[in-house]
Amino acid sequence: MALLRRTVLLALLALVPLVPAALLGQRAASPEYQVKAAFLYNFTKFVEWLDARPGERSPLRLCVLGNDPFGETLDGIVFGEMVGSRPLLPERVDAGEPLNSLRSCQVLFVSRSERARVREVLESLAETPVLTVSDLQGFLDAGGHIQFVMQGNKVRFAIDQAAAERSRLRISSKLLRLALSPSEVR
Amino acid sequence: MKSAGILIACLVLAAGVPASAWDQLDQEEEVLASAEELKGLSIEELMEIDVTSVTRRSASLSSAAAAISVITREDIRRSGVTSLPEALRLVATLHVARFDGRTWGISARGFNITTANKMLVLIDGRSVYTPLFSGVFWDVQDTLLEDVDRIEVIRGPGATLWGANAVNGVINIITRPAGDTQGGLVTAGAGNEERAFGAVRYGGALGKRGHYRAYAKHFDRDSLAFADGRDAEDPMKMGQGGFRADWQGAGEADWFTVQGDVYRGRVGEPTRADTDVDGGNLLGRWSRKTSESSGMELQVYWDNTYRRVPTVFEEHLDTWDVDFQHQLRAAERHNVIWGLGYRYSRDRVSDSPALAIPPPRRTLELASAFLQDEISLAGDRLRVTVGSKVEHNQSTGFEIQPSVRFAWTPADDRTLWGAVSRAVRTPTRFDEDLVFFTTGGVPFIRGSRDFESEELLAWELGYRWLPLRDLSLDLSAFYHVYDELRSQEPTPGTVLPIVLANKLNAETWGLEGRANWQASQRWRVYFGWALFENDLSFDPDSRDASGGEAEGNDPDYRFTLRSQLDLPGRFELDGWLRTVGELPSPEVPDYTELDLRLGWRATDVLELSLVGQNLLHDQHPEFGPPGPARREVERSVYGKVLWRF
Repeated sequence: MALLRRTVLLALLALVPLVPAALLGQRAASPEYQVKAAFLYNFTKFVEWLDARPGERSPLRLCVLGNDPFGETLDGIVFGEMVGSRPLLPERVDAGEPLNSLRSCQVLFVSRSERARVREVLESLAETPVLTVSDLQGFLDAGGHIQFVMQGNKVRFAIDQAAAERSRLRISSKLLRLALSPSEVR
Repeated sequence: MKSAGILIACLVLAAGVPASAWDQLDQEEEVLASAEELKGLSIEELMEIDVTSVTRRSASLSSAAAAISVITREDIRRSGVTSLPEALRLVATLHVARFDGRTWGISARGFNITTANKMLVLIDGRSVYTPLFSGVFWDVQDTLLEDVDRIEVIRGPGATLWGANAVNGVINIITRPAGDTQGGLVTAGAGNEERAFGAVRYGGALGKRGHYRAYAKHFDRDSLAFADGRDAEDPMKMGQGGFRADWQGAGEADWFTVQGDVYRGRVGEPTRADTDVDGGNLLGRWSRKTSESSGMELQVYWDNTYRRVPTVFEEHLDTWDVDFQHQLRAAERHNVIWGLGYRYSRDRVSDSPALAIPPPRRTLELASAFLQDEISLAGDRLRVTVGSKVEHNQSTGFEIQPSVRFAWTPADDRTLWGAVSRAVRTPTRFDEDLVFFTTGGVPFIRGSRDFESEELLAWELGYRWLPLRDLSLDLSAFYHVYDELRSQEPTPGTVLPIVLANKLNAETWGLEGRANWQASQRWRVYFGWALFENDLSFDPDSRDASGGEAEGNDPDYRFTLRSQLDLPGRFELDGWLRTVGELPSPEVPDYTELDLRLGWRATDVLELSLVGQNLLHDQHPEFGPPGPARREVERSVYGKVLWRF
């Protein structure tokens, strides 16, 4: 009895020095955006850019427009990954940059901070092969391709296949099967 | 003795400020640990991740300021357990002891008896305790195990958030939303102990924004055995059905849930007529999430139970409960949760020559309010939570149950936490109204309206660490000081009746821990342990001669080792070894048992499994006084088919 009591106390004492000084860490994304970052990475594997040349070696740019909710998480996921023959490259695009700079992206995530000008952004990319993704409500109605929605505590997504086809993007049937239909997020 | 408490207090203070809270009871263990893991997940797996919980702020388990273990859906599936009490054995930190065909003793941190009264048990937010003895009739707590999302086991007081009865721990059984259980499921199985069982579930869409499911299940479980090997004639049969619907409101912020169950069962008894049980419940919940850190939830339920134990007692119980909670970011560093609750329960109890619980009808009302504030300091690395619950009941009036907790996360892979909290167990009808008679009809033990609340002051400290990407460790130590525990006081002069009073005190302390090791992509190992000791004492004026034996019978140690191995050809081989130390009084020998499961996921929709339980001995006792009438758990083998459509 006394032995265990002493053991408990010793263990409690022993725990304290186990904790080193606080390390400064760059902030990671919230769990929701960690999951969304992983979705973004996954989407690149199920989309075909029809205009891309076979064996294209230039980077596949995954751009985030506006306030970046992903932080280091997105870089951690994307870093060193290839999509076919193309290396994945995460890029941040400031809200202030000219819209035509977005045309060099292959995937564009539109952050919630861009709510006010989401139509303007999407119109500037009309029929350009840029896969547009956002969690803004009404994103598909505004002409976007993939919209995240929360169902309970889980992340789901809807795809507007027709809009993607107009941008010369082919989305695999596997991804379409898992997606909600646009009418379900309206 | 007291010096230990003071020492721990100093340590807690030295380790950095007071103690923190209680919210993030959440979820998946370190599910979002690293980018490496995230990118390894498929779209289907990503869709399954629970990212937030509406009213308790989301955080990975590793930073919670409390001793929590989570039993996942996969743990349940791969263990081959067939009931909720069996599933609770999966964590070493709970002592689960089977007494007979319908009775279980389940408790954390000691005081385990067949009417264990210091644990709060919730199924989807519905408290399943009976105000009769403030414990749980485990035989009727069931659901479709395939639809259980997870079981959170929180050791130590949870009274600040959950209220009275959450003294030694909270068991939170959470089923999956209907949207996650779509399509059909059929299971069927048979064996020597699990003689026959089966279930059907179907889930579909409910308009554009919702889903539903409905299920029905039945089981026929064989008797235990007497010590001499004879059949104990206490088999149990039960049928249960239920439904759940979840739908989203017009705005994305609102979610609605309606769910309910009905059941009816019968348990054999060797010396009298069968025990009958039935009941049902209906629950509605509205939750609104207004942002990452704010939301509210309103929940209402009704629960009805009936139990007839011939020649002992008969109980009808109806419970109505309303709960509201609101979470908001009150200021930049302050996350506040507050809530209100009201519970009304009414019972009707019939007497027998053996016992009476006058008055035959009693109404209990319980009103409560809680407030807690989580304060983020040092750039979110230190979180301090202070809070309290105030509760009012008819027997003891107002009860205040505060707690202070801290969690310090110096790096993402480690958390040190500590807590000091107070919890009470309020008087029950057993404490106040019960009268046991001798065979001659003389009152032998009787309750007392002077019975007061049992009190606990708990000191806890814990450390969680991910030393390697594949290894997580969790250690906690506790020191509990109990006052005013139930004692049995003989009447001066006549001895009988023995009257229940509050003259027992106790100190308990222990170490608990677990290690999860992902040895490879195909092999996972879990090791858990709990060490426990207690020291009981009586007030100087107590005449109790029982030694406190009736209040708890707890092993000094428990160990659990589980292994989940994925074999080629979609086979799965799972092993589970558990050791429970000797119970002191009444004495039950220590035992070690082994379960094995061989599963084969023949196709995506068909799964076959063969499970052996308690394989090391023909039979072994887990609870109850020694003698030929003690029931023992027998070796069991069963096969099961699961088909999805």
